[in-house]
Amino acid sequence: MRIIVILGRVLDPSGIAVNRRVGRIFINREEYVLQPADRCALEAALQVKDAAGAEVVALPRGPLPDDDVLRQALATGADRAIYLAGDGFKGADDGVMVRVLAAAVERLGGTDLVLTGATTMDTGQGQLGPRLAEALGCPQIINAWQVSVTDGKVRAVLQQAADYVAVEAGLPAVVTMLPGALRLRYPDGVRLVNVYKGVGEIAEALERWDVADLVDADGLRPLLERRGRDFPPERERGSRVTGTPQDMAQAAANALQQRMGR
Amino acid sequence: MDASYLDLLMAQQEEVTEEAAGGGGVWVVADVVDGSIAAVTLEAIGTARNLADSLGAYVYGVLLGEDVADLAQTLYQAGADGVRLADDASLAQFALKPYLEVLSDLFDEEQPEVVMFGATAQGQELASRLAQRMGGGLIERVTAVSLDEATRTVQGAISIYGGEYFEILACPEARPQFLTVEPGAFPAPFIDDYRKGEPTVLDVEVVEPEVRVVGPAGEFEPPQVPLAQAPVIVAAGRQAGDFDTVKQLAAALGAQVAGDRGAWGAGWIGPEQIVDVRGVEVTPGVYVAVGIRGDTFHNAAIEGARFILAIHPDSDAPIFRIADLCLEADSKEVLPALLERVSVFFRCPTL
Repeated sequence: MRIIVILGRVLDPSGIAVNRRVGRIFINREEYVLQPADRCALEAALQVKDAAGAEVVALPRGPLPDDDVLRQALATGADRAIYLAGDGFKGADDGVMVRVLAAAVERLGGTDLVLTGATTMDTGQGQLGPRLAEALGCPQIINAWQVSVTDGKVRAVLQQAADYVAVEAGLPAVVTMLPGALRLRYPDGVRLVNVYKGVGEIAEALERWDVADLVDADGLRPLLERRGRDFPPERERGSRVTGTPQDMAQAAANALQQRMGR
Repeated sequence: MDASYLDLLMAQQEEVTEEAAGGGGVWVVADVVDGSIAAVTLEAIGTARNLADSLGAYVYGVLLGEDVADLAQTLYQAGADGVRLADDASLAQFALKPYLEVLSDLFDEEQPEVVMFGATAQGQELASRLAQRMGGGLIERVTAVSLDEATRTVQGAISIYGGEYFEILACPEARPQFLTVEPGAFPAPFIDDYRKGEPTVLDVEVVEPEVRVVGPAGEFEPPQVPLAQAPVIVAAGRQAGDFDTVKQLAAALGAQVAGDRGAWGAGWIGPEQIVDVRGVEVTPGVYVAVGIRGDTFHNAAIEGARFILAIHPDSDAPIFRIADLCLEADSKEVLPALLERVSVFFRCPTL
């Protein structure tokens, strides 16, 4: 069985400060971490590997300037990782990535299961998994808490309103994991050292593919373009509510409802 | 003023008719929750109405489900010019494949300009797959829209890191443009009781879903989130009064319970629940401080919170200097009333 896990990185939000008044973002500490939801996807892939035996292949969810997340995946237990680079690949959005990833999956010789994060921490976009499922023509399960594979079927736990339900789909399938669903294991010490030093078998498991071999230049044209930034209004602190306890409770309940998006 | 003349005037005009097929338009696919149209769908229709008026296009609603024909009028009342209805037993529960095939056939024929969904699990699944199938661009969880009228392109703002700032995205070339709109981000539209129309019924081919629901996940328990990463926290202080009510409020909000050093002193919470720079520093989206006076150590520990609601009887309490909403009251009086209202809003205990 082959499991493909798609991983991305995100700028650690504790290292950035946003000044709403001047409309600027200050990066105090430029440190990238694995996307939280992708961490869960990696752990899910390794759990399936432990239980059923599989080859875990790590692929990037977007253009990466370095292969750090793939090395992390190898150190943690992935069997193979493919770093993608090439001309005109830098501005790839999810639409382009799906083309590239679908071509990469084909070149790998197909897959039984694709695991990735349900959403990105920074932009909150979750279209990569379902789009890839459409491109591969297979079923999808999104926002999963847990994944297992038995008898050629993938089973996942999802939340429906207040309850948790188990769902099942045939392989191959794409499953996206919720952030915080699982806790990623620690990397193996020896593998970690070797993968960064480039020593031994594990270092050879990191391959480098040219995107130009996978899709033509036309396929690298992004669908979306950035049109600028916007900043929320400055925070007003200390606004008081007056009136009867009932009025206060109503104002507080309204504010909570708005804040929590219901 | 006697409103009956106005009623008569309005009643005369609003019988909605629509144009022939294939004419683009702004389309909204409805979410049906507990037998009624979800609030986010109505918000999307209101937004679609504004966009369509600027574009000179029509707004269409798509309604899928079983026995949902009556709900079509709600879509008309919210501003739709036309409604497509797919009413079939195979669509009673949302399942990707049956829904996707109906929508895919419909949109192939109609060639919409813009398609909007609510940013729910259903909307996300459908929007992503349709966008991929039709070669369109998708902007997810949009919190504001604007229009580039020269190219008829919708520009959507998405929140980055949960609202630190917004990135504005657009899909300038590919059509249709798919959007999912964040629940609660747009105003609810005016419901015009005099608008009505006759929905067009679609043929439904019965398709088996690919993902099968096996049953309840009996022994599954979601992992406990550490307090430092909790998205919602309700914290108590010495002036909280009744701690049980605080716990009930936390349960109703799906929040974690915490407290300041005083609450620990009172024996309400354990030492791992103390919010303090010497204890746990927290960064929740919402922090409710009940009866916490807010000393320097506590206030510094909640600096990362996005929204702070404070309830305290003393008007000089330092917590009021950093809170976004301040209720200067005895929490014994406010808390039961707040709990009652919150229980109505938040029936589902997750964020």
